[in-house]
Amino acid sequence: MAKAPLRRSDVQTIPLSFTLNGRLQELEVEPHELLLDVVRDRLGLTGAKRSCDVQVCGACTLLVDGRPISACTTLAFEVRGRSVLTIEGLAENGKLHPLQQAFIEHGGFQCGFCTPGMILAAKALLDENPHPTLDELKHFMHGNICRCTGYKKIVESIMAAAKQMRGA
Amino acid sequence: MLKRFRLEEPGSVREASELLAQFGDAAKLYAGGTELLLAMKEGLVHYERLVNVKTVPGLKEIKAENGIVRIGALATHHEIETSPLVRERLPAFAKLERNVANVRVREAGTIGGNLCFAEPHADPGTLLLVLEAQLVAAKAAGTRRIPAEAFFVDAYETSLEPDEVLTEIHIPVPTERSGVSYMKFGYLERPSVGVAVKLSLDGGAVQNVGIAVGCAGPAPRRVKEAEELLRGKTPDEALQLLPDAGRTAAKAAQAISDLHGSQEYKEHIVGVLLRRCFQDALNQCR
Amino acid sequence: MRFEKEVQIHAPREKVWNFIWDVDRFIACVPGCKEAKTIEPGKRYTATMVEKVGPFRVEFPTTIEVLERRELSHIKAQASGADNKIGSRMKVDLDVNLRGEGDQTTLGFIADVDVLGKLAALGHGIIKRKADQVLDEFAQSVKRRLEGES
Repeated sequence: MAKAPLRRSDVQTIPLSFTLNGRLQELEVEPHELLLDVVRDRLGLTGAKRSCDVQVCGACTLLVDGRPISACTTLAFEVRGRSVLTIEGLAENGKLHPLQQAFIEHGGFQCGFCTPGMILAAKALLDENPHPTLDELKHFMHGNICRCTGYKKIVESIMAAAKQMRGA
Repeated sequence: MLKRFRLEEPGSVREASELLAQFGDAAKLYAGGTELLLAMKEGLVHYERLVNVKTVPGLKEIKAENGIVRIGALATHHEIETSPLVRERLPAFAKLERNVANVRVREAGTIGGNLCFAEPHADPGTLLLVLEAQLVAAKAAGTRRIPAEAFFVDAYETSLEPDEVLTEIHIPVPTERSGVSYMKFGYLERPSVGVAVKLSLDGGAVQNVGIAVGCAGPAPRRVKEAEELLRGKTPDEALQLLPDAGRTAAKAAQAISDLHGSQEYKEHIVGVLLRRCFQDALNQCR
Repeated sequence: MRFEKEVQIHAPREKVWNFIWDVDRFIACVPGCKEAKTIEPGKRYTATMVEKVGPFRVEFPTTIEVLERRELSHIKAQASGADNKIGSRMKVDLDVNLRGEGDQTTLGFIADVDVLGKLAALGHGIIKRKADQVLDEFAQSVKRRLEGES
């Protein structure tokens, strides 16, 4: 439901200029607009999902300057001057990211609802720590919930991608 | 969707404080938003204006001076968790911060916001009590230091005045031969019980004992009566007295039966965590 | 949530009983209660309950119905209200009883409090403590008022 906010003269808007999946975006947002709504409704990128809406499940995970945040509980204007990565921006020139490839090969998703957030969180993990122990992986991924897989395949996918990314 | 509000972006603590004074109940300080935005999304609170304190410079620094670690109120849990200084001088606090909520909350949430929102099921306050931290609050008229013990008044209530801004947290570095331990328990999204212990071994006796309980009741509490029981005892004597100390600490927690567990269950867990924290702190001393 | 309170009041039963039905004086003892109105004396009343916990504020326009009444000894009432801003409802089943002879009256009440909606899900423990506090303050306030007036 993309629509522009009402332009009454007393409505405060904030110019929002940021990098989205490597490309410059410029728009105006009202202070109360949430990043998740801007990304989904105004920019049409629906990979990030509104699920729990209280920052607990991770389905709305986006990377801002490489760090995972809950888009459902982030005000859109907060990404001004920063770089945002959504799941749609992970593949480069049609080539899947090793994490995406690994999730496919190792069965890391079933319904797919948690998957965009799961993969982005995993990317943040591996960018910070290319060779995580199982404990380190679990600790980092603790905030991303999956109702389908039981997590075993997710862990395998991430570990496999990590290995691939290390060139091992 | 949130209801519409105006964003104020002050450039100084004074300006932030003046905005709060000017708009009173209609304005609220906004930092990481990890608690505030949730309450606003639920429609439990509404503010006409949010004062974005993140635009005030100088509130994020972590440094050490004269045996005190000074942490800016806007330091995020992630920044504290990964700070080499905090890891070295206050490893128990770095460990606590590493286990706050989840990685996304740790990225956006600030220590100041956590303390000021005073959500009952929170971690940092409990440990800061035994570490005898001082909280620096500033407003246009001046600054004051609030001891952690005087900061937490009740659920969602601190002793901050409406126009005061928390700027820094000062934590004295524990002396040599000290042990500091924080443990929590819970199976819901937020912790149900948290216990912190600090102690040092001096001439074979347990000294400088600090015991605090949090999460189970409306606000974290230091439990001096439990500390008295253990002070001056040898480690073995103290271990014998732990069940008593545990019962005392449990009562002080002001636990009530709710979705997190029955009062009795929480009180029991306080005793268990106290025993484990005490043992852990003792081991650190040796 | 069930709360049981009892308070000893140094005043005869009749005085306590009359106090209860004096709506304005009675309401003044209930923390957070204001704008009490009598719709039907002895039967129906309205009031606004305002409670605050930290930054959270609820305002329940409340209707109180008296269901049973036994002179000088027992009242059964029900209070209900909704805060539509927050999306929560409140219902209290109240059982008030008076015992005692001569100058000493024991005022006892049992309150079954139900809070439904958002508030309940998010703050069950907080509500319980708050309700307990309110009822405690109320009991003490009634005692003070009655003993203060000679």
